[in-house]
Amino acid sequence: MSLAAEAFVSQIAAAEPWPENATLYQPLKEDQILLSDSASSLAVQTFLRMCGLPVLVSCRANAEYMSPSGKVPFIHVGNQVVSELGPIVQFTKAKGHSLSDGLDDVQRAEMKAYMELVNNMLLTAELYIQWCDDHTATEISRPRYSSPYSWPLNHILAYQKQWEVRRKMNAIGWSGKSLEQVYEDVSQCCQALSQRLGTQPYFFSKQPTELDALVFGHLFTILTTQLTNDELAEKVKSYTNLLSFCHRIEQTYFKEHERESQSGSSRHSKGSLP
Amino acid sequence: MAEPVELFCWGGGWDLPSVHTDSLVVLAYVKFSGAKLAVKSIDWTWRTITASVPQLHYEGTTVTEPTQILNFLRKQRFNADFELTAKQGADTMAYIALLEEKLRPTLLHTFWVDAENYANLTRPWFTSHSPFPLNFFVPGRQASLALSRILLTKAESPLLNITEVEGKIYSEAKECLNLLSHRLGNFHFFFGDTPTSLDAFVFGHIAPLFKAPLPSGQLQKHLNQLDNLCQFCNAILKNYFTDPPAEKRMDYG
Repeated sequence: MSLAAEAFVSQIAAAEPWPENATLYQPLKEDQILLSDSASSLAVQTFLRMCGLPVLVSCRANAEYMSPSGKVPFIHVGNQVVSELGPIVQFTKAKGHSLSDGLDDVQRAEMKAYMELVNNMLLTAELYIQWCDDHTATEISRPRYSSPYSWPLNHILAYQKQWEVRRKMNAIGWSGKSLEQVYEDVSQCCQALSQRLGTQPYFFSKQPTELDALVFGHLFTILTTQLTNDELAEKVKSYTNLLSFCHRIEQTYFKEHERESQSGSSRHSKGSLP
Repeated sequence: MAEPVELFCWGGGWDLPSVHTDSLVVLAYVKFSGAKLAVKSIDWTWRTITASVPQLHYEGTTVTEPTQILNFLRKQRFNADFELTAKQGADTMAYIALLEEKLRPTLLHTFWVDAENYANLTRPWFTSHSPFPLNFFVPGRQASLALSRILLTKAESPLLNITEVEGKIYSEAKECLNLLSHRLGNFHFFFGDTPTSLDAFVFGHIAPLFKAPLPSGQLQKHLNQLDNLCQFCNAILKNYFTDPPAEKRMDYG
């Protein structure tokens, strides 16, 4: 959206309170959604729960195409559609709900920097592992991504998505990296997050912010998703304070959800934390 | 080290030791950590098109990319970061990611995609610093790489149109500069009184924007309003790069 349109949307957003029927759209949980999309979606859900805003999760096969920016998840609130965590945070701020109001300028700068670190390293690493590692792409990503479609559309869409992601990796210089280097980058990113978190309950001491939601979304998904091997999850597990951070947020914000969905854990996700 | 370590960079201009962001990052770190190596500029050589700059040569191995080169220098015990706490090290990684995501696309746009700047400043400089016949290819190739990077990472598919992205990347870059300014505050460097790798990265990104005589520079005007960042650049240039930058070959140690 252009800047003028964004400002216009913010004004309209500020006018109405959060409705009861706000919906979040993501790809199908059982068969279709991939690690990176699942992480982004969980981050948004966690953020909205932290704000105390109700949202219904709706799974659609064509969620990616419905989204205004082509990325999932997106939320449908009132008569507006907003996608991706950054714009959603701004949107909820326009409606008067914000988690980071108590931070001063330096802390806000730090928070944004750490969010970029997660996006730059963790999300890119997830995309790399899913689409640039041939083994994972063939065994998991391509079959899952194209599962709702019939032949030959499933082949075309899967290869198109793979080509797109590989082009992007090329542009940012990740195509020359080997898988071990990517795992090493993930490990360094987790080390940075672990050191920043230290022994505090949340990244900015007592109150959770959107950074906590984002980190939880990615780490929880990495820990509970089954890939061809467990090396990614092992890298995260070696940092105990990150593990307890994920447990804590899961207990605080997803306890009722856990109790409801005890019987319905999907093939892709292992359900709850190990 | 028995053999000299060689670093290949783009040459200097506009009062800077190098006009290329990544090369500047490495040069600044070399100065901060006191490493001894031979800096060779790739201007007027075939390396302008074959090499991925900056490039470190040591005993037959080649290291590229600023982060890899800095890791290598740290292993050789040229470490500007050893006084940092673990948390500050984590902050360094986070701020570098912020620079890469928010500031670099806009810097690429300002120098390589913006028509006025590219035609009047960037292309003539790189053309005059590349040997014949590469001077026809080098600037164009860099420009198309820059454009594809911006579009692939920032543009929302399928609307791969640069004009729609421009507004967004410039506002993100201005916000990033403001955040850096808030973080720097009144200090000389980002972590106290001695410069570290984060200072090198910030310097490398900001200095070309600060010093280049850009015909159309809205981001430059924004940077000029942030006094502490301007003083930061000037201080580093004065204290660490007092050699006149017009020489093509700078040997240290």
